[in-house]
Amino acid sequence: MSILDHVWLGVLAVFHGPALFSLFGLPIPVALVMVLLGVVAGIIVGATPGLGGPMAMAISLPILISIFGFRPEALLPVMGFLVGVMKGATLGGAVPAILFNTPGTPDAYMTTLDGWPLARNGQAGKALRVAHASSVMGDSFSDLVLILCAPFLAVMVERFLDLPEKAALLILSLTFIAAVMGGSIGKGLISMGLGLLIAAIGTGQDFYPRLTLGMPSLAEGFSVVTVVLGVLVLGEVFKSLEDGLRDARSGSRPDTRPRGPQALTRADFGRILPYVCRSAVIGTVIGALPGIGSTLAATLGYTLGRARHARRGGSPAFGEGAIEGVAATEAANSAVSGANLIPVLSLGIPGNAAAVFLILAADSIGGFNPGPWVFRVPTTGSNPEMVVAFGLFTMMLVANLLNWTLGGAVMRASGIMARIPRSLLLPSVVLVTLTSLYVQAPEMMTLVVTLIFGVLGYLMRRLGISPLPFIIAFILASPLERAIRQAFAATGGDVWFLVNRPVSAMFLLLGVWVIVASLRRKSPR
Amino acid sequence: MTGSHRTLLLAAACAAFALATLLIWIPADVDSSVIQLVRRRASIGDAMAPAVAAVILLLGAVVLVFERQREATPGLPRESLVFLGLTVLIIALSFVLMRWTGPMLTVLAGLDYRPLRASAPWKYLGFGLGGFVLVAGLVALAERRFSWRGTLVAALVVLGLIAIYDLPFDDLLLPPNGDF
Repeated sequence: MSILDHVWLGVLAVFHGPALFSLFGLPIPVALVMVLLGVVAGIIVGATPGLGGPMAMAISLPILISIFGFRPEALLPVMGFLVGVMKGATLGGAVPAILFNTPGTPDAYMTTLDGWPLARNGQAGKALRVAHASSVMGDSFSDLVLILCAPFLAVMVERFLDLPEKAALLILSLTFIAAVMGGSIGKGLISMGLGLLIAAIGTGQDFYPRLTLGMPSLAEGFSVVTVVLGVLVLGEVFKSLEDGLRDARSGSRPDTRPRGPQALTRADFGRILPYVCRSAVIGTVIGALPGIGSTLAATLGYTLGRARHARRGGSPAFGEGAIEGVAATEAANSAVSGANLIPVLSLGIPGNAAAVFLILAADSIGGFNPGPWVFRVPTTGSNPEMVVAFGLFTMMLVANLLNWTLGGAVMRASGIMARIPRSLLLPSVVLVTLTSLYVQAPEMMTLVVTLIFGVLGYLMRRLGISPLPFIIAFILASPLERAIRQAFAATGGDVWFLVNRPVSAMFLLLGVWVIVASLRRKSPR
Repeated sequence: MTGSHRTLLLAAACAAFALATLLIWIPADVDSSVIQLVRRRASIGDAMAPAVAAVILLLGAVVLVFERQREATPGLPRESLVFLGLTVLIIALSFVLMRWTGPMLTVLAGLDYRPLRASAPWKYLGFGLGGFVLVAGLVALAERRFSWRGTLVAALVVLGLIAIYDLPFDDLLLPPNGDF
């Protein structure tokens, strides 16, 4: 079967998959319903300061697995929901940024710069419409790039990279992630080293499980879900709870009642379009590089948009309620989400927290192992993993369609979520997280271990160490060790196997260059 | 203590941990070496991965020393440590209540918990009390006071989770019932 046949099978898997119910005699596929629910849930959590897409994905994953089970048919509905959350949350993050000057997600901070002045001028409705249109346009562009690039890149990787090159590529990716995450390459490397070390505990090929300190409870190692939920979710909740204590807000809010027309006119659309296009490209390029988050994309999109606006003498200026400012930010941060899946699907390397949860879902359910082999065309029959990948692309496009059509209304309605106090929301998130974890791994010890990782995540954040290199290193540790073992064996025990071959040597040199460049870039002049 | 001093301290702690891992932990707690000979063929041993991790940790510490002038590490003030301690204490207390409330009450009633772990009301006792204490305690910590609103939210969250996980699924077990 050709790639095009797999594309068609992927589309059919979504639209002709198991039906949840019938509407006027028309079967409604469960995958589509899950995408819809995911988009709505994503917008709502994105609009809730303190939650965000990754946290919602973490909480919903065990519930979804409980509902759909560990069967290959569960892959599309579960991933459809997660993709919906990922896309919806990006859209929803703009809501509190515009309405309450409180970014729902970190990347929506730049949206407050023009969104809040617009709201104070009674133009909140228009600002939300601009954010909606820009976000969905950026996201759609990014998805198209993903769909065109990921299979091509995966085929190239499979065709031209052998075991040593793949091992070197993993090392380069980890180095890159450590270098670009957070403010310091040193802290990035520490985070990555800790992730690799924790992943080594209780694993290995010897009869004796390594680094267990003689404790039988460590012999099985740490499960990915325990580490991810502890460090990413509990660590963030602990920090947000404490930050909430410090944020003693007082005083009355300015009047943001609507004044004047709120609709997005054709002239408005013409004004924002150049900014959206430019930011969509910026967000997509940044999203395709593993480890660089949407916050940087939003900052770059906004900064370049502001320079263009100033050159043209646009009024109002950026920062004073320019709809172009909202458009430049929202298009850039939304364009990251699709492109972020390029390294996941073509290389098996998660580039951000949302991708981590997609890998976690695939890993928990089984039947889909993201990496270059996903797009391997079989000589006979079909490649089920490629069908799932194209099903995933189909669901991403459906999620975009839903964002286009329903997203705006859900966005405007979810403004109320920003009024829920963090002090009530975050403790509830802790119990929901722990319960959903226990349901997957029914042992109280799992909860204790998750709490310990939560403390680690909190301390890392407080010490200015980004936890994402830790998580990504933890996830990639096993594939990296396997690749190195296989490459070493395949080269007949050559200890120089990583530097003997030009491509792998080039990847390693690039890794060294990334570290040196990061050090030089940040050095004071 | 300034931010750069804290950075230096962090680098020193990481370097010490990395060296201890390389020189003490790995030799003492891993069976095979970095590269081993099995049937006269060289292969990578179990010590390779943790050794590489420790070297990266050490490298990070060294790089951090060079970065200390421009990378100020935020402090961990006493209030943060107290907050973290109280948070862990509340969650740990809730775990203890979750784990032991059901079994203790069944002992008092002259019953064995294991056969009752899937029967109402026994299966809800530990989760109900532990979950309630967890949420209500953390809300009180965040608001610096006990409030009826917090206790109501805690009760609703516990009931909601029972409704989501327990009522529709026979095969799912709420904490701590999987341990019995």
